[in-house]
Formats: sequence, structure tokens, C-alpha cells
Amino acid sequence: MTATSNDKDTAQAAAEVEMVTGVIDGHEVTVPKGTVIIRAAELTGVDIPRFCAPPLLDPVAACRACLIEVEGMPKPQPSCAVELGDGMVVHTQLTSEVAAKAQAGVMEFLLINHPLDCPVCDKGGECPLQNQAMTTGNPETRYTLQKLTFPKPINISTEILLDRERCVMCQRCTRFADEIAGDPFIELVQRGAHQQIGIGEEPFDSYFSGNTIQICPVGALTSADYRFRARPFDLVSVPTTCEHCASGCSLRTDYRHDAVMRRQAWDDPEVNEEWNCDKGRFAFPYLSLDRLSGPLVREDGELRPASWPEALRLAADGLGRARGRAAVLTGGRLTMEDAYAYARFARTALATDNIDMRARAIGPDEAGFLASQVAGTCGPTYAQLAAAPAVLLVAFEPEEESPIVFLRLRKAVRQHGQQVVTVAPYPSHGSTKLSATLVPAVPGAEAHSLAALPADVRDLLQQPGSVILVGERAATAPGALRAAADLADQTGAHLGWIPRRAGERGAVDTGCLPGLLPGGRPLTDPAARREVASAWGVAADDLPTSAGLDLPAVVAAIAADVATRRSAAEQGDEAPANTIDALLVAGVEASDVPHSDALLRALQDVPFLVSLETRPSEVTDFADVVLPVSVVTEKEGTFVDWEGRRRPFARSFPLATTFPDAEVLALLADYLDLDAAPRDVPALRAEIDSLGAWGGERPWPGAAGATDTPNPGPGEAVLASWRLLLDRGIMQEGEPYLAGTRQPSVARVSAATAAGVGVPDGERLSVSTDHGTIALPVEITEMPDGIVWLPMNSPESRVTTTLRATPGDTVRLGRE
Amino acid sequence: MGIEEKLPSGFLLTTVEGVAGYARKSSLWPATFGLACCAIEMMATGAGRFDLARFGMEVFRPSPRQADLMIVAGRVSQKMAPVLRQVYDQMPNPKWVISMGACASSGGMFNNYAVVQGVDHVVPVDIYLPGCPPRPEMLQDAIIKLHNEIQHMKMGANREAEVRELETAALAATPVTDMTGLLR
Amino acid sequence: MPELPPALSGFWVTFRTQFQKVNTEQYPEQKDKFPPKPRFHGRHQLNRWADGLEKCVGCELCAWACPADAIYVQGADNSEAQRFSPGERYGRVYQINYLRCIFCGLCIEACPTRALTMTHEYELADNGREKVIFEKQDLLAPLREGMVPPPHAMVAGMDSHDYYMGKVTGATEQQREEVQHEEAQREEARRQDQGAAQ
Repeated sequence: MTATSNDKDTAQAAAEVEMVTGVIDGHEVTVPKGTVIIRAAELTGVDIPRFCAPPLLDPVAACRACLIEVEGMPKPQPSCAVELGDGMVVHTQLTSEVAAKAQAGVMEFLLINHPLDCPVCDKGGECPLQNQAMTTGNPETRYTLQKLTFPKPINISTEILLDRERCVMCQRCTRFADEIAGDPFIELVQRGAHQQIGIGEEPFDSYFSGNTIQICPVGALTSADYRFRARPFDLVSVPTTCEHCASGCSLRTDYRHDAVMRRQAWDDPEVNEEWNCDKGRFAFPYLSLDRLSGPLVREDGELRPASWPEALRLAADGLGRARGRAAVLTGGRLTMEDAYAYARFARTALATDNIDMRARAIGPDEAGFLASQVAGTCGPTYAQLAAAPAVLLVAFEPEEESPIVFLRLRKAVRQHGQQVVTVAPYPSHGSTKLSATLVPAVPGAEAHSLAALPADVRDLLQQPGSVILVGERAATAPGALRAAADLADQTGAHLGWIPRRAGERGAVDTGCLPGLLPGGRPLTDPAARREVASAWGVAADDLPTSAGLDLPAVVAAIAADVATRRSAAEQGDEAPANTIDALLVAGVEASDVPHSDALLRALQDVPFLVSLETRPSEVTDFADVVLPVSVVTEKEGTFVDWEGRRRPFARSFPLATTFPDAEVLALLADYLDLDAAPRDVPALRAEIDSLGAWGGERPWPGAAGATDTPNPGPGEAVLASWRLLLDRGIMQEGEPYLAGTRQPSVARVSAATAAGVGVPDGERLSVSTDHGTIALPVEITEMPDGIVWLPMNSPESRVTTTLRATPGDTVRLGRE
Repeated sequence: MGIEEKLPSGFLLTTVEGVAGYARKSSLWPATFGLACCAIEMMATGAGRFDLARFGMEVFRPSPRQADLMIVAGRVSQKMAPVLRQVYDQMPNPKWVISMGACASSGGMFNNYAVVQGVDHVVPVDIYLPGCPPRPEMLQDAIIKLHNEIQHMKMGANREAEVRELETAALAATPVTDMTGLLR
Repeated sequence: MPELPPALSGFWVTFRTQFQKVNTEQYPEQKDKFPPKPRFHGRHQLNRWADGLEKCVGCELCAWACPADAIYVQGADNSEAQRFSPGERYGRVYQINYLRCIFCGLCIEACPTRALTMTHEYELADNGREKVIFEKQDLLAPLREGMVPPPHAMVAGMDSHDYYMGKVTGATEQQREEVQHEEAQREEARRQDQGAAQ
């Protein structure tokens, strides 16, 4: 399941690179042609001071701190911009008076206007300027006049603060915004001594703005959230994996006294390079927000605190009674090990296959797609994505749904002109930054657009190494997944599936879907069942033999049970057995599900409900037993990113006293007198590894074909919608500064559609169904007529709860 | 502890408490427990310039059976801890403990595996005395504060009531896990 | 002096001492007669500027310098509504654990604003661990003549640099009025709360 790069390709590429040999401080060094001197010097162990030269940005030679002497050149040269030539003889500050003096002189200039407020500065203690002033600066300043002062700090967005006094004009931030993120909201303004970083009319509301704080070599850019909260020396840093999306970013969590102070991107060249998005960086206060401190049990209709043994006994009794008639809903936010524990618990302890990890809009042919194409396989990797000549995006907005995929695509577009084609209702901000070609698609009818793909796009995809990326939203479009898979077969392109949540891929791999056992084993295959049963130490006959119910089916079954019970009571008959007698729910937010009212009713009606949660939710409100579990900082585990690459992480807080889901399930199994399931992460990992991936047939049974394109009448439109990166998700709660950088909620329609309902640009458009109405300012967008786009889960626009509609449904438009 | 514990409560007992407290505080006999640099200051306190004899306690007893105050002076290593506990157990009741100096009180700057992080992990401490080492006046101050406590010690039924009250207060107090900063 | 028999020489020392001046310090009674030496390291104090604003900027350098890890500081942002120190930052939480502190004075050397100094107070013993952890309010210097308690604004027309240059000599009338006004408002709120409670 682990993704590996293609070794042959790499070796071939290395052979083709031309090498040059130069001399740095008397040491010969051979590097690929095009390597700048500062990097070649690093290879010989010589550290040249620098401010403006992080490896992933283009050279600019703005700060001049890295001046060195090159024999044959009249003046000191910036080593971050001059490439090492064959036979070049370079002297750094270690062997050249000239270079050392030039560097010290530049440092003195940089410090002329730099304020001496290091004790107050958030960068103090981890500041390259501090360090390099110590190593290369003059101890005494000769400048005695008044320093340049600016009002400080100013907000360039609600999250990012700018202190212009401290800036040394290295332009890392502006270059990052321009080259990497493509959001050039900050720029250099003014000239000479008054040159400064500035913003235009717009605030710096980029999804990647937090990276500028991390790469700023001085304390000029700081975050409102971390401001003055701690100093580097009292932070404990632990590497971790981001739990917010399926990109799988490597992060560094800095904590103090068991409270997370900040998170930063960790350097992982194969995945997130040195970057992450603002959600991963700033959205961590939820970790400690109104946590459940102990188990709760329902007594006389009220939840009351209980001891662990009491709560476990109650939960085990209730679940044990419902053995074979229970269902497990796990949400998509669990680690791979926890998901595996649920998959195992459902099949062994509860003897049911009613398990579904998808707390979102799902489609009929998604389970088959995931089982046959995704589970236990390796998708295309980031490296393949970066090298691909063409990429087709189907129902997937990389910037909103998997930001690091977006950064990798943008890098490929900038570096080798990758062609991005997107099948979407309109060219979003992100696809515009990727210079993407739009294949217009009516939501829900992506299959038609894929079938009728223009010939030139088809030709693009036929180039070797091309990639097709399918978003999780494609599941709601009938036939789209099948069409994408067929297209991949026809063109030879790699097919990748990108869910939004960090835990979904791991849950697919470990069998948290009806009909799917761990490693992509089909439940209906006797050989697959035997393999799993022997690994689990049960008889193969004890495992369920037919595929169970998914989330909507479970909800429907509970509603049917209620109806049956009622009619039986009216007739005075004895009520037949329920289909679903107990629910085990973990990490499900009801409003994520399209028909959340039906789910809530099911939660209320089900005879017995056990909830494993970190904080009170709509699910715990109805639960009979609530068992608190660990958040990511309190447990170790693995997230599987969209590539299928495992991203293991360790516990951040070693002294945490909470139990991870897997351990609670093992305790429940103990109370049910079952054989002990593995409860710690190494044992779970070992069991997952020993099972491995399925080598046999992976059938994809016939599924619903494409339906007809919806044809909205006058005053109606087809709903298009997706979740924005920063919205009102529960994992972004408690962070007002980050919420301030959210994009304003707007409704998008074409000019003709807007004119049809008489709403001019900027006025409020109301979008309604039988259940409710959302009114938002309209933004006229170039897109097919008869489509309206709304943000899925933004503060003023909650499509699932207000409209109870899914993309592809027909909605009514009107003027508010 | 003794016959005074058996007396009935009320007016008589308060007077007995006062008398017993006065007697106890005026004849504290410290056990020698000098462990490190603090012991030098403790010895100085016992010597003529500071003269603990003024408080009726100039003789440091090498035999725990004849002592009722243990001044733990210096860092307690993990190996010393059981010895210290043994000496404490050998002292007759009523007995008191002064934790002298930063190391005895909390481990001080020796935050490592070899040193007990506060002697209150081993024996109950009545007075914590900061300082590294505390000057003799500070030790005398600690002793006077201890005297004050001894003077007001309750007995018999009053003591039981006080214990109940302290127990209730301790149960209602903020748990250490909820404290922030250094209180954690 | 004639050589005394050894048995008597010991008694001679005792006898002679009776006529010497007593060198015992009568500590609690005559404490002031034996003050500590000027450089004595006693309890810490968090100083104030002449107008009552705190000197501490919450930079945690004292905590960094501390070899015993006895100091815990959390900084916070001064806002226009709540200003405790000149400049951007102040120490919101300041704790010294005297059971760890070794009175070495490295924190005093580290302090960039002379906010932290040491007094001659040494009577710190107490009967509980948490009572010997001093919080900010225990450590802050008392308000002297001409000081008003923060939070209040800086002296009008001055910025943090002027404070460091020593240009501020006392609280201005404006600052006094601000603090009195705040106090009156708090009093009013308290009274209303009490009224509501009754």
C-alpha cells in the first residue's frame, strides 16, 4: 500500500543531468549544472549567511547577505543567484577577507533600521537575523541616528500581522505569494529607504498566507493567533500529520504545558515540500474545546457522568443484545488503526457488515468504485502528479479540497507547462490560477461531460504519465466514477481518488465500507473471507456473508423499523424484530450528511445508541452511552493520504490520559467476553500489515449509468456546490482570526440566469427548496445558464441543513 | 497520641490544647538530617551566633527516638529516600518536618532522575523553606512559623473535626491537572 | 599567662567568655539590627515605571536564563483598552516558584527592562507548596507616590522609547482621571450587580 517512486525513472533522469565541478574554499565539489553556489557550498559543509534564499523559491539576490568572492569576477557576487560553473574557484567568508567584509557590511546595513525589540518579538529565539547578526555581524553599530519607525503592527489580514520596522526586504513573502500560492496580495511598495511590504485594497486572504510567517527570516510577519503566547525555548516540538484533509501534510506541533501553541509545516519533499495551508496551520483550538471529560450514560432521559466500568458495561450489554442487528457509522476522521479496529469490531463483536465511514453525500456506485479501484492500492503519487504532462480534474477543486495537491499542480504548471483540464460548472479561483481549461459540466451530469470530452483533451490525456483526479463529490453524479475509470482505461492515464477528510482513505483501505474487508477484499469472496477470518482468529462462517447497509440504508432501515413497530402496535400484534437494534457512532457530524434531519431522527429512534466522541455533539445528545476518546494530539496513529501513502504520527502529549477509539473498542470487546483484539497501535499496524492487500479479483458490479441532464425550468437552476477550505467546519472552531480570512459567501450564476430572475450583480439572490432558503449576494460568473453555485457549509450558506439538497438537485431562484 | 487525646472536648480541652501546644513548641528536639549544603546553614543556626537554644532546641538528636522535628536539609537522592522515611518512622508522635531549601522542597535545580523532586513525596512536610541555601534567619523564621502551627494544633474531637474539614476542602480544591503554569 | 592544667583550661574558656560581648543575633526580636548585606539576593520584585505602568514586557528571558526552571511567564498583547506596560507586550502571567528558585540572580541579569530586581525580603517559608509559588500580584512593586495602577494609557505624547529614556516622571492628570473613571465604572457595575442579585 505504500507509495514508492519509480526508481528506474529517477536513475535515468540522473544519468542525463550534466555535472559541473568547481572549487569552494579549496574543496572540489561536483554538482548538477545549474546549482547555485550557496547550495553547492552547503554540500561541502560551508554555511553562507542568507535571508532571501529558501530552496524552493526562485533566486532573486535581494538581501545581499550571501556575498562571496569568485576568482576572475571584479566584485563580490551573491552566491544565491550565481550558478557554479565548471572550474569556478569560489572563496566564501571562511577564506576570503573580501567576502567576510562584504557580508559584515551588508549585515550592518540591514541592522541600521531594524529595531532592537527582540525581547518582544515572536521570532526572537528562532530568528535567522539574530543568529546571523551573531555570526557575521559587527558587535557594535556605527549608526547613532534615529531609526526609521512605522506604526506597528498592522493587520494585512485578520490572521497575519505585518511589522514593517523589522522587515529586511528579502521578499520571501511576496515571492511565495506570487510563485507558490499564486495570490499576489502583498507586494513591495515605495522606493529607497522607505521601501516596504504592502497590500493593495484587498486583505491578504490567501489560503497559504501562514507560510509567509514561517519563511520570514525576521519577525516582520507574525500571526495574530500565536502573538506573544510563547517563546521558542519553552515549546516542545513534535512531528505530526495534519488531520484536516487527505493531502497528508507533515506538520510540527509546538506545545507548552499540554496546550498546542502553534503548528508549522514540516519539510517533507515527497508530500508537502515545505508548505501547508492555513487550515492545517491555524485550525487547532478545537482540540481542547469543550472536551468530554468522562463517560456519560442516560438515566431517566438525562445524560449523567458515569465511571468507565459502568459505562462500558452498559454499552457492551446494549451492543451485545443487538449482535447481528447493529450498525457502525465511523465518519471520515479516524486514523487508519482506529478505522481498522471499527471494521474488525463490527464484523466480529457485532457480527454485522453494516459499517459505513462516509458521513457525507454518497452515490450508488461509489462503494464499488472504492472497492475495485482504490482500496489497498497505490494511486498516482505527488511525484507523478508533478511530472504529469496533463491532469484532468473531475468534480474536484484542488485549492478548496486538497490544497497541497493544488500547490503541486501549480508548481508543475509554472515549471513545465502542465495542462490542467477541469470538469466543473465554472472556472473557480483555483482553476484560474492553474490556467486550467474548463470542460463545462452540469452538476450531477459529469458523466455526460466525460463521455463527450473534446478530442484535444483526450489527446492530452493520452500522453504517457497523465493523471485523472476524481474528487469525492463525483460519487453524487451518477455514472461519473465509471466514466472516469473508463477514460483512464482508454487513455492509459493514472486514476486517483481524492477524498476531503484525512481518514477516508485509511478507512477504505481497512474495510470501513459495507461489503469490503480490509485490504480491498470483497466480502462476498469466500477466499477473501477466509484470509480475514484467520487473521482475526474467528471461524470464516462467523463473518457476515452478504454486504451490509450503508449510511442512508441504515437510516431508512431504522425509519422502517419504527413504522413496523407502530403498525404492529396499532394492530395489537407482537412487533417483529428490528433490522437495526443498536448504533455505534464515532466522529459523525449530522449536518455533514445531506438529509441530516432523517439521520437525526434515526439517532433518536434507534433503540440503543453508543457514541464515541471527543466533544458534545448532536449525536451525543441522543446517545444512551457516550464514551470520550482521544483527539489526534493524544494518540498515535496513521493517516493514509490520497496517494495511499501512510503518514504515521506519534503522540504529541505523552501524558494524556484519554483512550483512542481502538482501545475503547478493545475494552468493549473485553466486556463482551470476546477474544482480545489488538489494542495498541503497533499491534494494530502489525495486523494490518500481515493482512496486506487483496491479490484476487475485485469486481465492480453493474452500477447506475448516467442519468439525463437535468433540465431546470424558468426560475429554477441546478445546484452546484462544494465545501470551501475555510468554512464553518467543526474542526475550525475556536479560531476567530482564521475565520476572518474566509472568503465571503456569494452565490454564482451566469448573467443570463441572473437576468432571468431579475437579480443584478451584487444584489441578494435567494435559493430555495421546499425545506428552506439561502439568500446570498450574487456574483455574476461566466458559467453555463441554469446553474447556481453556493458554498456548501459557509456561515450564511448551509446547503445540507437549510436546503437539504445535494449538488445536482434542482432549486428555485428568486430575488430576496 | 497521649492521654491528652482522651480528654473530653469543650472549654477544658481548649485550655489543654493551649498548654500542650505551648509545651510541645517550646521543647522541639530536632533530628539531624543534614544532607548537603543546607546542613552547613542548619549547623550555623544551631551555633552561638544564631543560637537555637533560645527556642529550647539546641541539641540535634542523632537518635530518632528522642527527636520530634526533622529538618531535611539538602537534596534527597533516590537512595536516601528510604533511609529518610525509616528515620521519620522511628520518630515518636507528634512529629513535624521542615523541608529546608529548594532541593529538599522540590528538587530545586536538580531536576533529574537521581534526586527526589521534593521530600514531600516521601514524608509529610509541615513547612517548606525556600532558599539555596536559606540563611539562618530564614530557618529560624520557618521554625517560628512551625511553632505557631504547633501552638494552635487541635486535639481529640477538635482534631477529628479539623481533619474532616481539611478533607472536604481538599476534595473541593482545583485538581492539579487543571492548574496552569508552575502549579501544574 | 601561666600554663593551666588541661582539666582547667576548658573551664577557663567558659569563664572568660562570660565577660565578652554576646554575639548572638536576637533574630525575630531585633531583626532590624542585622540587615542583610546590600547585595543580598532576596525575594524578587516586578518594578513599575514612574506612572505605575509595569516594566515587565513578558519576554520570558528570565525564564530562559533560570537554571532551575523556576519562572513561568506568558506574554500577551497590550490593547488600547487594556494597557499594562508601554509598548506592544506585557507579562500576563508571571509566576516564580520559590521552591525551585536558587536566588542566583541570573534572571535579574537577563531582564532587558530592569523590570525584575531582588529585594532583601527573605521570610518566605510557608506550609504548602502552592503558597510558595508567587504570582504576579505578589511580586509587583507597591504603588509609590505619583503612580496609578494599570491598566491605563501611556503618558500622552510619549511612546515606549520615551519611557526607556526616562522621560516619564509620574502619572499625569489625564492618567489619574482615566483610572478614577474606570474605577467609578467598575464600582457602578458592582452596585448594579448587587442590585440585580437582590
